[in-house]
Amino acid sequence: MSRIPITGMGVIAPGAIGAASFGGLLESGRTAAAPVERFSTAGCRAHTAALVRDFQPREFIAPMKLRRMNTLSRYAVAAARLAADDAGSRLPSAAGVSFGTCFGPVQTSVEYMREYVEKGAALAPPQLFAESVANAPGSHVAIEFDLRGFNITFTQRESSAMAALMGAASQIAKGAVPSAIAGGVEEINDVVFGVLDAVGALAHSEDGLEECARPFDRRRNGMVIGEGGMALLLDSAPKRTPYAYVAGFGLARDTTATISDWGNGAAAVARAMRSAIEDAELVPADIDAIYASANGTRRCDRLEGLAIQSFFPDPPPVVATKAVFGEYAAGGALQIAAAVLALRDQKLHPSVGFSDPDEEFRFMPTRALVPRVLRNVVVSSISAGGGIITAVLSRDPE
Amino acid sequence: MRIPDRNTRIAITGAGVICSIGRNKAEVWQAITESRSAIGKLTRFPGETFPTELAAEVEEHLDALLPAGRRERKRLSRSDKLAVIAAGEALAEAGLPALDGTVVSTGSSTGGLVEGEEYFFARVMRGTDRAPVSRVLQQPTSGPSDAVAKVFGVGGGVLSNATACASAGAAIGVAADMLRSRHADAAIAGGSDALCRLTYSGFNVLQAVDAQPCAPFAARRNGITLGEGAAYLVLERWDEATARGARILAELCGYGATCDAHHQTAPHEDGRGAEAAMRGALFEAAVESHSVDYVNAHGTGTLLNDSAETKAIAAALGTGVPVSSSKSYFGHTLGASGAVEAVITVLSIQHQIAPPTLRLDVPAFDCVLDYIPLTPRPMRIRHALSNTFGFGGSNVSLLLRQA
Repeated sequence: MSRIPITGMGVIAPGAIGAASFGGLLESGRTAAAPVERFSTAGCRAHTAALVRDFQPREFIAPMKLRRMNTLSRYAVAAARLAADDAGSRLPSAAGVSFGTCFGPVQTSVEYMREYVEKGAALAPPQLFAESVANAPGSHVAIEFDLRGFNITFTQRESSAMAALMGAASQIAKGAVPSAIAGGVEEINDVVFGVLDAVGALAHSEDGLEECARPFDRRRNGMVIGEGGMALLLDSAPKRTPYAYVAGFGLARDTTATISDWGNGAAAVARAMRSAIEDAELVPADIDAIYASANGTRRCDRLEGLAIQSFFPDPPPVVATKAVFGEYAAGGALQIAAAVLALRDQKLHPSVGFSDPDEEFRFMPTRALVPRVLRNVVVSSISAGGGIITAVLSRDPE
Repeated sequence: MRIPDRNTRIAITGAGVICSIGRNKAEVWQAITESRSAIGKLTRFPGETFPTELAAEVEEHLDALLPAGRRERKRLSRSDKLAVIAAGEALAEAGLPALDGTVVSTGSSTGGLVEGEEYFFARVMRGTDRAPVSRVLQQPTSGPSDAVAKVFGVGGGVLSNATACASAGAAIGVAADMLRSRHADAAIAGGSDALCRLTYSGFNVLQAVDAQPCAPFAARRNGITLGEGAAYLVLERWDEATARGARILAELCGYGATCDAHHQTAPHEDGRGAEAAMRGALFEAAVESHSVDYVNAHGTGTLLNDSAETKAIAAALGTGVPVSSSKSYFGHTLGASGAVEAVITVLSIQHQIAPPTLRLDVPAFDCVLDYIPLTPRPMRIRHALSNTFGFGGSNVSLLLRQA
């Protein structure tokens, strides 16, 4: 068995730049979602999203390099820079890189298509094409820090960053690399927003209720979506006291799910939880909290809620963070970052958006910031289409 | 967490492929042995004008080959369909007793982008709000993995990666490690990519497309030929495969993954990342470099790749090892190439015949290896490497061994 130390964190989040600021946002009980100004939401049912606002890429990246990077690449390089600075150690060139992203470079593809239409297929800008691959952010991080280990970009919908974390931890455990940057990136544009709105996935105002994601709440009617970048530094030979350790993973797939929605196979979600806890060489009673996948959609939250109460006869505290920074935020990585900060600070965050319990659930999500002894936290990630990845993060090295 | 155990042997018990030269393994291998490539005029995007006009397209009407109902078919992108066809062949051959603990791991660079393009064009060109949302919903690169998992009822998990042209190689390596760490019981691992306008245009604006059919390692090489396709391997732990009496096609014994950390689109001129990936695969398998009998090269046909890969192979393995590029048959299948070419490599080991590099009449002055020109070569192949490299400098090398 092996636990992988997390020694640094870099966050470019909606409403927060840097891990300290992100921790403050989580503790405040506020949401970073706000009315969208970047593009028009006219004709949509939803009008808010959790978008990155105060990011100044020049603080992290040289101007000549900036020109070659799309927004995702800038998020990735800035987050990696913050993570490396945070850990206070130089990254060895043998280190690997894995990022996760759900939608990837959709905005770059749109920009390319516009040039393609206006100038012709032969005259679109090559630089846009180079940035149109989903692994461009990961490769910019490799170039910036001269990292020559594995470099893989996972794209498993809502669980993309979780897959990236698992991929990186596995390579360190195997001894293929001594350390790795693992995280995620996401950018929200009018296409992503419009499509998710059109299929009815987004939270919207209804019956006098304001537009807000309400995870596990009786009145929930959709998700709020987010963006940003996050990078963790995983280091098998830490030079500082780690924030937490990656202790185990479990995978499963809900075979009742359609290709683009959540299903109702709670047993599969419970199976992934059991696998992750076994992988960490723990028993369910060792789990002190669950950082939930719940995003405020009817189906995802119901699936996860029923799984939690079927698997844990007496569920530990459940924390739903996605109303703060949105589903997809940093490719799903901000949910992981929240759980890492909970372990570091020994505090459970409030489940923003939750206030009116759903009688189907026998557990009560957190309502306020709660100091608590936390040794092991389950981080649950359930993606539309049925993919499930569950992680156990731990405070202690063994 | 459980550590991927290098001593856990990985058996390949099924393989499936679809690309321009064939709809399944039998057709593909027949074309290989007959030195018959399938590269022709691009027909997928009528009305569009590109500086070059060749492609290696899958011409078949895919729906007829799909093991899926009509309702399910409607939700699948072209990349999804290619994936389901290839995965179906691999699963049928493997005959896994159950898929509860099986994971799907797929690499796809563009996923359903060709469907997404219809949406973008409707919005950008016609400015309409009534663009076909159903098409853009098929765009995520997780589509092929999700589709394979859905159609075959896979319960062990689903993973996707989009690591440009190294995607499928990475998907296979990641899956092997999941078996080695017992995070999965079996894996359906591969890749899928359909041709799309953005890719076709993009490689043209990079001036990386040969106006003639690609000629890897040749003096006249001038770029890639774009192709499309999908391929999957079924992976199991060796002991469990033999215990259930499965027929083992070959062993996946090494996986090396590296990054050049050099340039967004160009390989490092000395092929340093490629060399390290090959060394990584050999190290994992504890196989000496002189034991490699054949290299199925990335061999795209670009000036830069073929020169850098030649240096990398020479540095890692020496100049005597036979090398060939199967892309001379079916073009560059992009995110799928690592899986398509891994299947070709498995077939080469099974048949003990190395496929040739077609159109290699005069090798380039800086291409100094034995590239098996023009016709297949019967030879002893105990160990073979399959190379796959991508944008961003990502490199994957898989080491395969005769069963």
